[in-house]
Amino acid sequence: MHLFPVVEVAGLHIDISAFIAIFVSAVITFVIARLAVRNLSVDNPSKLQNFMEWVVEFVQSTIASTMPLHRVKPYVGLGLTLIMFIFVSNLLGLPFGIVTEAHHAIDWLGITEAILEEHGGHVELAWWKSPTADISVTAGLALVVFILVHFLGLKLNRKHYIKHYFQPYWFFFPLNLIETIAKPVTLALRLYANIFAGEVLIATILMLGVVGIPFLIVWQGFSIFVGAIQAFLFTILTMVYISQAAIHDEHENEH
Amino acid sequence: MDFNVLAAAIAVGLGAIGAGVGNGLIVSKTVEGIARQPESASKLQTTMFIGVGIVEVVPIIGVVIGFLAFFS
Repeated sequence: MHLFPVVEVAGLHIDISAFIAIFVSAVITFVIARLAVRNLSVDNPSKLQNFMEWVVEFVQSTIASTMPLHRVKPYVGLGLTLIMFIFVSNLLGLPFGIVTEAHHAIDWLGITEAILEEHGGHVELAWWKSPTADISVTAGLALVVFILVHFLGLKLNRKHYIKHYFQPYWFFFPLNLIETIAKPVTLALRLYANIFAGEVLIATILMLGVVGIPFLIVWQGFSIFVGAIQAFLFTILTMVYISQAAIHDEHENEH
Repeated sequence: MDFNVLAAAIAVGLGAIGAGVGNGLIVSKTVEGIARQPESASKLQTTMFIGVGIVEVVPIIGVVIGFLAFFS
């Protein structure tokens, strides 16, 4: 099992491979987005412009399935960022991996003699992985969503947002609190577990050697599918939570 | 006896039963719905994927816990 290069700085454990992966993923997403809007044309759109228009319409219709169409516009940017960043991140760990071996203790990486002995003399360090295969990255995304949902709920819909904690009866309050905690926790864990399990399975299939090549092809294809589904799921659940907190009850009163 | 491996196997196995039964129920109802109303096929398919994503969270967390038990 690979270890990750974790540096300890002022008491914080910083995973270098996660930082590299997040940086690469953010750069790729940004470059794709900027290239798609270069030389915009109505009569003669480029292929990338067509693709980006399809993505924007897809995100728009996804958000529109959770809230009334005229309220959708402020959240399209958030939805686009989430779905593109998470999809690119999920795909990053599939094509290759960078693994180095350490035969001696490396102090700044925290590899002590004890760990070397545990693993039989040499330790494998993985320097490349999907950023979303790290719980800290997915927890960061879920934290952003959590803060957004409650901030928007308090700002746009305060009375009904506070009231919904005590519905349908006042003694449901603990259950509603548990629901509030469970939403970001499951968001983070779902994305992390799916992508991490996929990567561990790739490492396991690689242990088979040449015989594992057809399995690897099939599993990588399935992993692309899972990556797309998980990106879509994260986005739509974010929009559902925002809609429940900020928009839903207010809309009910308009009837 | 290596209990770590046994723990990982039990965790993944029970999770697989849960995921299998849950996904089977979801997809079977979706297929039924599409058979009744073919024009709502795409909306039903979208809802099916969302449902599968939600149901599979806990079994997949079980698989990750199994990996943790297996590799340490």
